[in-house]
Amino acid sequence: MLLTADPAARPRLLGALTVLVVLWPLFQAAEVKPGALLDAGNVKVIGNFLAAFLPPETGAEFLGHLGKATLETLAIASAGMLLAFLLAVPLGYLATAAGRERPTLNPVTRSLLTLLRGIPELVWALVFVRVFGLGPAAGVLALGLTYGGMLAKVYAEILESVDPAPANALRHSGAKRPLALLYGLIPLAAKELASYTVYRWECAIRASVVMGFVGAGGLGQLMDQAMKMLNGGEAASILLAFMALVFAADGLSQWLRRALDTPPADRPSPFGPRSALLALTLLAGTVASFRFLNIGFGELFTADAARSMGEFVAGFFPPDLSAEWLAKVGKGIWETLAISVVGTLLAAVAGLLLALPKPHAPFGFVLNALRSVPELVWATITALAVGLGPFAGALALALHTAGVLGRLYAEAFDNAPQAATRALHLAGAPAGVRFLYGTLPGATPQLIAYTLYRWEMNIRMAAILGFVGAGGLGQLLYFELSLFHYAQASTVIIAMLLLSIGVDQTSAWLRQRLR
Amino acid sequence: MNFSSMRRLALKAAAACAVASLFALPATASDAVLRVSAIPDEAPTELQRKFAPLGKYLEAQTGMKVVFTPVSDYAAVVESLATRKIDLAWLGGFTFVQAKIRTNGTAIPIAQREEDAKFTSKFITADPAIKSLADLKGKTFAFGAPSSTSGSLMPRFFLQQAGLNPEKDFKNVAFSGAHDATVAFVAAGKAEAGVLNASVWDKLVEAKKVDTDKVRVFATTPPYFDYNWTVRGDLDPALVKKLTDAFLKLDPANPEHKEILALQRAAKFIPTKKENYDGIEKAAHAAGLLK
Repeated sequence: MLLTADPAARPRLLGALTVLVVLWPLFQAAEVKPGALLDAGNVKVIGNFLAAFLPPETGAEFLGHLGKATLETLAIASAGMLLAFLLAVPLGYLATAAGRERPTLNPVTRSLLTLLRGIPELVWALVFVRVFGLGPAAGVLALGLTYGGMLAKVYAEILESVDPAPANALRHSGAKRPLALLYGLIPLAAKELASYTVYRWECAIRASVVMGFVGAGGLGQLMDQAMKMLNGGEAASILLAFMALVFAADGLSQWLRRALDTPPADRPSPFGPRSALLALTLLAGTVASFRFLNIGFGELFTADAARSMGEFVAGFFPPDLSAEWLAKVGKGIWETLAISVVGTLLAAVAGLLLALPKPHAPFGFVLNALRSVPELVWATITALAVGLGPFAGALALALHTAGVLGRLYAEAFDNAPQAATRALHLAGAPAGVRFLYGTLPGATPQLIAYTLYRWEMNIRMAAILGFVGAGGLGQLLYFELSLFHYAQASTVIIAMLLLSIGVDQTSAWLRQRLR
Repeated sequence: MNFSSMRRLALKAAAACAVASLFALPATASDAVLRVSAIPDEAPTELQRKFAPLGKYLEAQTGMKVVFTPVSDYAAVVESLATRKIDLAWLGGFTFVQAKIRTNGTAIPIAQREEDAKFTSKFITADPAIKSLADLKGKTFAFGAPSSTSGSLMPRFFLQQAGLNPEKDFKNVAFSGAHDATVAFVAAGKAEAGVLNASVWDKLVEAKKVDTDKVRVFATTPPYFDYNWTVRGDLDPALVKKLTDAFLKLDPANPEHKEILALQRAAKFIPTKKENYDGIEKAAHAAGLLK
């Protein structure tokens, strides 16, 4: 009798019930209807579409387009990262409390960073496409801004987290702050800084695919067309190219991070042939990226461009705050929130189920496959499976996130303290009880932290899924921008920003409470 | 030279290279190039294929290099025309009205197809239960792009006149983005009904790209003015004249011209004027798409 034997049964049951009551309206808003998945008509439609995936399109002309688009995606991500880096170094320096005599939080820089990060890169891309015309320039700038914000925030935090003693010593002996940071903190934090930057580059590749959906070039643009025309063969080839790119980037970044872990060779010069080669590759890669994209940066900084940018931005003010429009945006916020919560919860359940079985290997493959398909692509498929609407969006989030969470959960279980489980095992408890009362409590804080982090990311994604017909704020924004209703669009962008800040705060609060 | 100064030198050199690479890029030449684009009412690859012979013809007529930029966003074409990033654009009726407003009335429509003077949209479905516009209540519905004339604005206007409000009366409204995509949405059951321009529908039926046993037309809108070729207002008037003449000179009796016209799905091109699109502007205000 599990229930009577469990001293915590009552609070657990109560907790679960409260959660259900709180979440029920969200499930309603997300129009969850699992029946649609089994509807004969829908199954046939999606079956036909997926059947068309085989064989993948291999026509010479198409492969030519595909190769060019793949290079373009890679170049957008790399050029965007350079821009982000150039932006993040001064901003991170301003934002961090490290090396300051009195720790301040520097509210101006911090709120600038929140602004840069809070608006999804897709929205920036959409805006830049208007100002700078179509093509990769918009994607590069959008990536540069959002990732600049993220990098700066994380750089600031990394610098705050390393041992301040050497920097303090330098400052006390009269060194200025930049020098104290450069020689006191950067050497200690260098590995972590580099590792995070490389990881972000990998994310940028994924993100630059998504931005193609609004006309910023690259693989996403091809994917958007193939998906709209429901051309399965082309979609399959693009997906394969995309997966290959992501896996290659993943491998490269793992290799780089491992290389950072090896201790430097024992010789007087800090530079070896390997670091020289690396620096050269980086430089060549960046130059090649900009050459390939052929962005007339000179053109971006003319008085003309500044004027049209100014006019464009001025169009967004004042935002439309009429009661009627606010009601509509409010509904969009609610729908977006519902999509993100339901998607994350479904993902948590699916991820948990996939993380539990003991030889991880076959499930690991499923998790990787789920994870490597971007949410926007899943959304076009789920929209076929359950029809257009928020439920399709929630399912798309759930599929991608299940892949991410499953992997993290499996690691959390492996790392959970084993003592309690072993004690239960020795006392003769069956496997189920061992897991529930031995492994699970130990891993729970980790599981909750990971799930909440993903929720923070998913709220930004949910705001975007509307671009492919999943409702919520994204659909409103796409519609209003298409019609040049900038005052209305501006309200939607503000709503997205507030929503993502709100979710960040809630998630931080929940993490604190549940710790 | 010690290591630290060498390092400093190397860093400086790298920084200089990075900065130089940003600016040392070839600036796009803007003289003697005619920059053309079109609203993406069909797949961009299809638009490029359709434009190729017309582009060659315009090159011969104007003596300029013609560059066609395919795009995937309607509004971007309007914005590019307004910010003088393109010179000539194939616009829909509503995108022309938007361009007119965003260029303070300077954009000039120069020619339209004979067919565009009495254009229609077709409502399609694969659901046997849908027989009239009134049956659309509670169904999922696909428009083309939000700023499409024949795939969004005019159908919305005529739906409104039939007493239907898409946002309230349909279960879900989707924007497929392009006319041929709308057909794919409806054929696949992604949306229960949709609307698209008559010309693309006829083309898909002729090319047997749609199964007419399954997907059928159940309503057609009254005629209205649609597509035209528009130039930005500050283009050299002599060039505008050359371009206008080039379109009007296209003669179906000439086999070379016939190919161009066939690809544009035009019997011939006729002159057009801004006033032709006043009706669309009124409809856009009525449907709430213009504020």
